[in-house]
Amino acid sequence: MIIRQVYNLNVLTVYVFKPEKSETMVRFTIHSSKFRLFKAGLVFTFLLFAFSAFSQVQTVTGTVRAADTRETLPGTSIFVKGTTVGTITDIDGNFSLPVESPAILVFSFIGYETQEVQFTGQTVLNITLETSKVALEEIVVIGYGTVRKSDLSGSVASIKAEDITKITAANPVQSLQGRVSGVQVTSVTGAPGASPVVRVRGIGTFNNTSPIYVVDGVILDDISFLNASDIASMEVLKDASATAIYGSRGANGVIMVTTKSGKVAEGKTVFSFSGEAGIQRLAKKIDLLTGREFAIISNDIKAGSYNNVDAVPNTDWQDLVFDIAPIQNYQLSASGASNTMNYYLGVGYFNQSGIIDKSKYQKITTKLNANFNMTHWLDLGINLSVTPFKQQIAPNVTYQVYRAQPLLMPYYDDGSFGVVYNVGNPFADLEYSNNFRDGVRAMGNIYADVKFTKDLTFKTSYGLDGEYVKATNFTPAFTVYNPDGTASQQQNIYSDLTKASNDMLTWLWENTLSYNKEFGEHMIDAVAGYTMQNTTSEWFSITGANIIRDGESFWYINPSYIQDPANDINNVSTISNGVDLGLNYSMISYLFRANYIFKNKYILTATFRSDGSSKFSKENQYAHFPSFAAGWNVSREKFMENIDLISRLKLRASWGKVGNEKIPYDRRFSIVSNHIAVFGDPSAAYPASSFGRLGNPDLKWETTTQTDIGLETGILNDRLIAEFDFYHKITSDILVDLTVPGYYGNGQGARITYNAAEVLNRGFEFNLMWRDQVGEFKYNIGFLGSTIHNEVLKIGGASGIDSVLIGGYLANGQPVTRTEVGQPIGAFYGYVTDGVFQTQEEIDNYPVYTQEELQPGDLRYVDINGDGVINPLDRTYLGSPIPKFIFGFSAGFEYKRFDFFLNIQGQTGNKIFNGKEVVRPDPYNFEAHVMDRWTGPGTSNDEPRPAFGGYNYNISDRFIYDGSFVRIRNVILGYTLPIDWSNKVFMQNLRVYVKADNLYTFSKFTGYTPEIGSGGVLDNGIDNGIYPITAVYSIGINLTF
Amino acid sequence: MKKINIIPAFIVILFLNGCSDFLDKELQNSLTQEAFPVTESDALLATNTTYTTLREWFYHSGGYPILDFMSDDAHKGSNPNDQLPTLGPYETFGHTPSQDGLDRWWNTLYLGVKRCNVVLDYVPEIQMNPALRDRYLAEASFIRGLLYFDMVRAWGGIPLVTSTNPPASLGRSDAEEVYALIIADLEVAVRDLPERNEYSGDDKGRATKGAAKALLAKVYLFRQEYTKAEPLLMEVINSGLYGLEPVFTDANSVNGNHGIESVFEIGAMQLESTDAGGNQYANTQGVRGTPNRGWGFNRPSLDLRNAFEQGDPRLKGTIIDLGDVIDGVTILGDGSTPDETTDEDGNVIEVECYNRKVWVPGTTTITQWGHQRRLIRYADVLLMAAEVLNENNKPGMSIFYLNMVRARAREGNNSILPDIMITDQALLRDIILQERRYELAMEGHRYWDLVRTGKAPEVLGPHGFVTGKHELLPIPQTEIDISQGTLSQNPNW
Repeated sequence: MIIRQVYNLNVLTVYVFKPEKSETMVRFTIHSSKFRLFKAGLVFTFLLFAFSAFSQVQTVTGTVRAADTRETLPGTSIFVKGTTVGTITDIDGNFSLPVESPAILVFSFIGYETQEVQFTGQTVLNITLETSKVALEEIVVIGYGTVRKSDLSGSVASIKAEDITKITAANPVQSLQGRVSGVQVTSVTGAPGASPVVRVRGIGTFNNTSPIYVVDGVILDDISFLNASDIASMEVLKDASATAIYGSRGANGVIMVTTKSGKVAEGKTVFSFSGEAGIQRLAKKIDLLTGREFAIISNDIKAGSYNNVDAVPNTDWQDLVFDIAPIQNYQLSASGASNTMNYYLGVGYFNQSGIIDKSKYQKITTKLNANFNMTHWLDLGINLSVTPFKQQIAPNVTYQVYRAQPLLMPYYDDGSFGVVYNVGNPFADLEYSNNFRDGVRAMGNIYADVKFTKDLTFKTSYGLDGEYVKATNFTPAFTVYNPDGTASQQQNIYSDLTKASNDMLTWLWENTLSYNKEFGEHMIDAVAGYTMQNTTSEWFSITGANIIRDGESFWYINPSYIQDPANDINNVSTISNGVDLGLNYSMISYLFRANYIFKNKYILTATFRSDGSSKFSKENQYAHFPSFAAGWNVSREKFMENIDLISRLKLRASWGKVGNEKIPYDRRFSIVSNHIAVFGDPSAAYPASSFGRLGNPDLKWETTTQTDIGLETGILNDRLIAEFDFYHKITSDILVDLTVPGYYGNGQGARITYNAAEVLNRGFEFNLMWRDQVGEFKYNIGFLGSTIHNEVLKIGGASGIDSVLIGGYLANGQPVTRTEVGQPIGAFYGYVTDGVFQTQEEIDNYPVYTQEELQPGDLRYVDINGDGVINPLDRTYLGSPIPKFIFGFSAGFEYKRFDFFLNIQGQTGNKIFNGKEVVRPDPYNFEAHVMDRWTGPGTSNDEPRPAFGGYNYNISDRFIYDGSFVRIRNVILGYTLPIDWSNKVFMQNLRVYVKADNLYTFSKFTGYTPEIGSGGVLDNGIDNGIYPITAVYSIGINLTF
Repeated sequence: MKKINIIPAFIVILFLNGCSDFLDKELQNSLTQEAFPVTESDALLATNTTYTTLREWFYHSGGYPILDFMSDDAHKGSNPNDQLPTLGPYETFGHTPSQDGLDRWWNTLYLGVKRCNVVLDYVPEIQMNPALRDRYLAEASFIRGLLYFDMVRAWGGIPLVTSTNPPASLGRSDAEEVYALIIADLEVAVRDLPERNEYSGDDKGRATKGAAKALLAKVYLFRQEYTKAEPLLMEVINSGLYGLEPVFTDANSVNGNHGIESVFEIGAMQLESTDAGGNQYANTQGVRGTPNRGWGFNRPSLDLRNAFEQGDPRLKGTIIDLGDVIDGVTILGDGSTPDETTDEDGNVIEVECYNRKVWVPGTTTITQWGHQRRLIRYADVLLMAAEVLNENNKPGMSIFYLNMVRARAREGNNSILPDIMITDQALLRDIILQERRYELAMEGHRYWDLVRTGKAPEVLGPHGFVTGKHELLPIPQTEIDISQGTLSQNPNW
């Protein structure tokens, strides 16, 4: 039986004929060969006509689902028993097949029991297939097409709808964390609506490391506006063979997002609703000093600071500031299909309040996907998402909470805000903060699929992605007073208001020609295309002061707020306007991929993309990205037939080049900057302009060359499925901003972008899944992980500029990371400590310090270079923020109507720098470990004598923590009501569940979370007092009717 | 059938042809350097920018007044821990080539040089009013000389950049070459700049012939070329365009902005932003806490306080103490800064006090941003004249100008600050140096005065000054690293 899928089509009906089998079919074959040269449409029409001429022939449609999950089964083969007439289901599990009744239809799918159904003229046949303890053969979405997993020669990981909604999060990409090997999703902050950092296979650039997202064919930078419930599947393209089709944008990986579409289901619309409500709370408190302990330590630092340490107040700022906050997520969808169209409509509401007051995020997601079968040769369709959102951003009071002395009170007796020396009263900052960001993101495309012949399809798609955001930030005039009635530093003399807006619009026009053909044992699947994209953006910002009244209805800019000479306020210069430097470019691309499969066993893939980008000057505008891959389905070889242990085995290897061009578009230009000159008496402002930043007209693309070797296998009838990948990727010509000699006159901190660095990422990924069923007990256990070896191979070099990148600047300007050849990107750099000086004699016998006068109880820094002086030359590498191993463990159990799911994730081999503890220009509160301080010879060799700052707070390994952690990320317990109960309330299916996210984290780090993300690669793993990550407990309901 | 196949290909080709410039995106919202400066108004814009460098916070010795920290006039200030590891070492000459601020100062001075070079490279090519062109070139030459003079005093020989397109690997010129350029630039400025009264009122703050002469004289003074300095100083004095403010504090205050004593000052707007026209110089040193919410750096030392002659009003014209009432505003100071700092033996070594020279009336930070720093004031010109005349063996004239400065300081109280009658060259030399301290303390002169007069080892030795090393600052380590061996470090660093 040879059944083939036609890829990349919405209607996937393909006929395969073996003429010798039956009389009808012989006749059919004659027609078929006779009309082979005609358009597919004509053939098809004729065939329908031919079938209907024999009155018994009619078309049956339906959907095939898995009995256990109720998920549809794309790629199921259906054929009329005793003939070679057949088809396979499309990506949504739908099929349509003309059949001559009576007949027996055979439904088969790898991993499921084959089922035979008596056909007696039904128009609709919905079939459920039982698991055969052999895993299902997936259809995988790849760039500009789909492919059966067994025909895939690249490295692609997939996650399906049911797993995407397991985590309650604003951004669907959170669902990839711990579920896909080689992908790391890290929250930068726990603030509602904040986007996480996503990295695929390590860090290969100093620039934007984010993968690109392809949502139903439209290339995007972000998917936070999508509703997880609207997504059918996400595929992560990891190796060069898979990503090369996205050429210049593939280097950071590609995440394909396919949203849901309608399915034929018993001829009516399926409604489904899911609702979830939960609470979030601070997952972990930082152990800080109490008032009494703070008084004790203060007395240690300066005797007599507090006469009676038992009589001081004790304010637990964390308890006061962090609250329990609600989170809700509701979603309603309707989907359905007929012979001529299918549709999916979804509307969702997500609302999350932060555990810090005045932080909120809500979005309403609307989704429409529709596909119309206009004629047998033309499909038209639309995918559309419109998401209005509203965000309130709280000031970052976490750092204040960490620093505020516990002896201070938030309020005076009269209820007014108390002064919190040195850090400001967090409640006052919250009270007077009004920072809002509202906007709408709309994304969609319309497309046409034209089938020229049954082998050749043309698709054109015009996509739009637009966003408009407006921001309002109002701070009233206020003063927090000292106890003596004078004004403290925490005040805003004049109320101020900032209004800002930005808009972005991208259009993307893609044209592809797909060709699928089988010649005996050969199969070719090819796609070629031409695409154009243009992105523009603009922002505008204006600040006024001394707003006439505080109320929300006055939050509009008025000329008198900008020109206010009466109050010495003249803020004309705070009006600014420009384009987003990352969002102003155009691209032209040519793409090609051919997949050749021989005997169903040998796969060869070649991919090529040429990209031209406006970000580079004419000479460097175009770059070319080839890739090659091969796969071998070993288990289909004769010699494997008798090896029952191994049910599946595939080897694959790929090599290719991809690019990264995510840099600001202006870096090649040398700009003229504008200034203000001041002359006259009284002073007046005059315009001034001169040479500003120097550009580099020679900039070109970053190129990543990646090799991947993979093995996929199924053992014991696919009870155990295992996938292994080894990858090795070198990114060269990395665009890096290098310091140039000061005499170039660019000014402090100004850098020039060069193609001047090279980075290696190497690793091993595995994904193991065991599933089985014992009686009514079904279970699956998965374990996946990936190693990362990150190493800088080159910086600077021929450009003659610096070979060291300094980064990770703390709030006081001290850098914590250093990047140079032989080290990972953003490695920590500082002093190594060797205990605490116990006596003055020990100090006297130790190498001379250049600056500080030391006391017993101070830290002993190691004289690394052995020159007899402790100075900055003794700093060294203290570890990497990049984990060496990240892993995830999942377990799912089903017993009768109960289901249970557990997901654990973690990482090891990385370090965290506790930046928030180091920066202390003023007396702040301490972490509790200070109580174990040195108080005299022999008392401590770890914790130095306490001090409010100074020598012991130099950047050293004292602030380095092991970043390893294991987190219970997701626990779900569900119960599905018996079907007859559900039916009584007109439901098809009703499931209720309870869930906990981020339940517990095992970690040695003292901060809120060991998962510290950063947008900048040189600033990774530094805890500067981030908005804490929360634990979420929720209850939910899923129902379909 | 064939037609349908052709359509998409046709569309594609159509677009390809129609969009040959599709990938050409111009820079938005900025000129590129290829297109500037080309007009007369461009020439003015470029010239104006040479002055904006002087309002950059980093222009002022990297942001913090480290030159005063290194002198006997001042301590770091602010509260004890504030910037202690970054700024504290300057007080004790414990600073290193990586010390905070050195790179900022270096880079910003070169930023200023580049802005001058834009004018000097391109304005000569512009078709424009020749008189105006000469003035613009002279203004840029003056600013470039001013910047290089800071550099040569701070670091000695440095890479000498005279065009907007310097070579990729430039080594240090020796100090003589740097001085040669400074002198040449300032000679152009002396020749082509208008006198202060030849500018319109809107142009106050631009470089003048008088300022150029005073600066060039100062250059000669530092080079001990007294005979070259003398005529320049006498021309400034005899021009009749300058004088002393009757009240000492007005020499630096808002009352004296662009006043009779101002030879060259940096205009500023009262706006809390450098980009908008403000200058953070005074805010950095302003009273910490109430009323100014300044940062409180540069704390006058007890040594300075005790140095003043009995009754010299310039003591209170230099130091703000807690409890003072200035311009109707009471000084309360900072709650987190100790009022007194003592050593192990209980001796008071510092008291909380602030720099009066940057005082701006007001109770907010905003007003401080409008402070107009005087880079050259007439009292300095008179004291330079006194010094030069003494060196040129004209002690009578020397004490004449010296006593002009003392007379103003007296502010009418004849019981204090008697006229100096000593004419012995060596004694007078010391007296003039002392007078410079009283008159110009906390204005950034003292450290360099001690170094150039050879007094630094004696006065600053107890602070940690090492002869043969601390006369110069170390070249910033980042510059040494970037140069990959082209730049050498100063001796003994």
